[in-house]
Amino acid sequence: MTPDLIYGLTGIAVFAIGLVGALCAQDRLRRVLALKLCSVGAGFLLVVGAWRTPPMAPDPVPHALVITGIVVMVSATAVALALIRRLQTLESSDDDD
Amino acid sequence: MNDPLVIFDLLLGGAIIALAIASLTVRDLFAAVVLFIIFGLLSALAWVRLSAPDVALAEAAIGTGVTGALLLKTLHHLRFVTGTLGHQSALSVTPHTPVPSGVIWANAAFCGLITLGLAVAFLGAPQAGPGFDALVSEAMPASGVEHPVTAILLNFRAYDTLMEVVVLLAAVIAVWQIERGLSDAPAPVMGEVWQGFARLVLPAIVVVGTYLLWAGAEAPGGAFQGGAVLAAVGLLLLLTRAYVPRPGHRGIARCAFVLGTVVFAAVALLVASGGRVAFEYPADHAKALILLIEGLVTISIAATLAALFHGREPVALRNKEDRNDT
Amino acid sequence: MMTIDPVTLAIFLPLFGAVAAFVAPRAAALIGLGTLALTAAAVGLLARDVIATGAVIVPLGGWGAPLGIELRADGLSVAMLVLSVAVGFLVSLSALDALKGPANARQRQYFWPLWLLLLTGMNGVYLSSDIFNLYVMIEIIALAAVGLTVLTGTRAAVRAGLDYMYASILGALLFLMGVGFIYLQLGRLDFAGLMDAEPTGALFAAVALMLVGLALKTALFPLHFWLPAAHANATAPASALLSGLVVKAALYIVLRLSQYMPFPSESLLTLIGVMGAGAVIWGGIQALRAERLKLLVAWSTVTQIGLIFVAFARAGEAGLTESWKAAALLILAHGVAKAAMFLAVGRIKDEVGHDTIRDLDRAPVRPTLAQFTFALAAISLIGLPPSLGFIGKWSLMEGAMAAGYWHWIAVTMIGTLMSVAYFSRVFAGFLRFDRVRGTVAEHQGWAVADAAPLALAAMAIALGLMAAPILNFIEIGYPFGEAK
Repeated sequence: MTPDLIYGLTGIAVFAIGLVGALCAQDRLRRVLALKLCSVGAGFLLVVGAWRTPPMAPDPVPHALVITGIVVMVSATAVALALIRRLQTLESSDDDD
Repeated sequence: MNDPLVIFDLLLGGAIIALAIASLTVRDLFAAVVLFIIFGLLSALAWVRLSAPDVALAEAAIGTGVTGALLLKTLHHLRFVTGTLGHQSALSVTPHTPVPSGVIWANAAFCGLITLGLAVAFLGAPQAGPGFDALVSEAMPASGVEHPVTAILLNFRAYDTLMEVVVLLAAVIAVWQIERGLSDAPAPVMGEVWQGFARLVLPAIVVVGTYLLWAGAEAPGGAFQGGAVLAAVGLLLLLTRAYVPRPGHRGIARCAFVLGTVVFAAVALLVASGGRVAFEYPADHAKALILLIEGLVTISIAATLAALFHGREPVALRNKEDRNDT
Repeated sequence: MMTIDPVTLAIFLPLFGAVAAFVAPRAAALIGLGTLALTAAAVGLLARDVIATGAVIVPLGGWGAPLGIELRADGLSVAMLVLSVAVGFLVSLSALDALKGPANARQRQYFWPLWLLLLTGMNGVYLSSDIFNLYVMIEIIALAAVGLTVLTGTRAAVRAGLDYMYASILGALLFLMGVGFIYLQLGRLDFAGLMDAEPTGALFAAVALMLVGLALKTALFPLHFWLPAAHANATAPASALLSGLVVKAALYIVLRLSQYMPFPSESLLTLIGVMGAGAVIWGGIQALRAERLKLLVAWSTVTQIGLIFVAFARAGEAGLTESWKAAALLILAHGVAKAAMFLAVGRIKDEVGHDTIRDLDRAPVRPTLAQFTFALAAISLIGLPPSLGFIGKWSLMEGAMAAGYWHWIAVTMIGTLMSVAYFSRVFAGFLRFDRVRGTVAEHQGWAVADAAPLALAAMAIALGLMAAPILNFIEIGYPFGEAK
């Protein structure tokens, strides 16, 4: 049992949990959470791929890729959340009418 | 492998999976977000275990920190507009027709099959297998910096990083566009302790953020982590109302958002001469150029992340057109 | 002196344009058109280079793949660049008119930076030869495209935009997971590294994940759920860009992957074809039932995307070396014709005041030129000669016939008949006058706003006559690695 195996399977499980959530979640905010879980799962896979048995240093390229992925994901999340806020505002003002 | 660490890994992996499930199933949305934040921090811890401190920093600062703040802000806004601000367990959306549990189980079974397939594929893939290790260590001396991740982000794969900054820019433009004329939910009352805390902690954050940026050349850290920490300063300023964005600030804000993109792209093109292509920094100037780009990109990242948190474009709501928009 | 190659410029020019349009919103339209003209010039130079010397490769940073990222332009990528720049320029011209007036000031202010960012992302996809870079590029496209979708800010548009956003994020993450598996197996991310890879479990997982993600992004049945609402509720120029260009980026990546990845099996290809057939039939049924004209056109996009996948699968694994060309022709044909059609529909809606299909024949105002444009675009989408759509469908069926796959021909025929049927609903609305109360007001002369869509529709027809040179052009630099 090495860390890469353990965390690799963890990552795949997290990705799958996110996938179920993204397909089934009713709540808009929770769907964003689920997608974020997927992205963490994908990050796990790349970080695990970079791991080398110590004392060898890990491959830094996937690390850079995951950092890029994290920034891309926060951008997408921000846009999705802005849409949610806008939509909720539009819907509740309609209810008042 | 020594056993105690394997047990730690197993426990941590189990906790991460449990938190992931819990954050999707717990009824209260606020609790879901909090569980998600813990999940993110534990994932960062796992990445430290996999000797990826840069990634762990980025996940903790941006993936969990900024994302968590965005989620909480959105939750607050949703509860405000639906008039359920006081209710602890209010859901953010009036549920439509509830999904039949059969559908959920079918989806879960489907995803279970996918997981199984992916796990088999993962176990069949080469472990600690081929990678860029040799190529990176070979090219490191010519990169201008000592830290490999920084070298990749700002030199070897600088094009990706430029485009990542462009993604942030696209996000802030889209968010401004989406939220135009949207009125703000009143900020939560923070109390005096919070104000004092903010005042105490602000300078410290600035120092940490700048250090992270500076350290990036040699050690884990860099523009994105530093930018995220500096963005926290912006968040605190916005939350404590020490800074209130005004319509007159839009011009400066726009310039701050695009600064990193413009400088990064301009440097990439300007170095292309005499047989060099874009992004090919001359060897003796590589370090200086990378530090210049990193510094300015950090400012843009901090400004953009803070603006993503703030959301709306600051406009004068007296303006007739904006009111029509609302 | 700086000497920057046109490959880099094709990506950086729209990027600088987007920044300038964002910082100086008042001059945004001028900046936008100027940027498009300059980008078109860069693409023209690039096309000249590619014709002269074959595929052009730019190793950014001087590192070269696999450590660095290489930009690669061959016939197919330049054809896609020309499509996005040419269609984009004409759509931009019509956006000048569609977004004029003080009521649209905000839409105008945001349209230009978002559209130029979209162009940056699309050009980046067409020139990329690194799968992780593709992931970043499709995210730029996604954010800009969602911004364009919700430009009007109506409830329907925002709701559609949110669904689009969820689909886009999930699609991109599936793609990213695929990237992860490719790295696990091969330890590199450039196209050249994928070429000679042995098919293994990890690569199969990667291909499957990436294909599902891309199918979600390009709205292949049954993952099309987000498209009709998103495209039907956007403002007309945005719809034209979304339907004509944006979905093509993901389709293009599928074509590229098929060229570079060890495609695992015949059955996967058949599955793709079946999904395409499902799109053709289901989209056709929905288009027949649509009540609004924009929705009908959006469903027609679903069927056309399905058709492109049928073209892709038409002759199985053995025919893949030829099938991608039929798919590419259909991509180009649909890009031009659908942009023309959405712009024409926008004009019709503006003039008539609504786009309810069954009440079109009651309208006393008949925007003749826009209706004519719609009909021309429909000719290409239905696939009547001599349009480019006809050539695409013809080469689809030819390949399927040669391979003996008659079922794909049947699907294409059914799709064609259905498209005749649903477009006829619209033509009936254009041509019937007996339900009009009062006098019929013909269109008030030739509106300048009709020029751009008409030019696009004319292109869709005329390009059919140039099919042979186009086919020769997209083959330049294929297969990968031949010309360096």
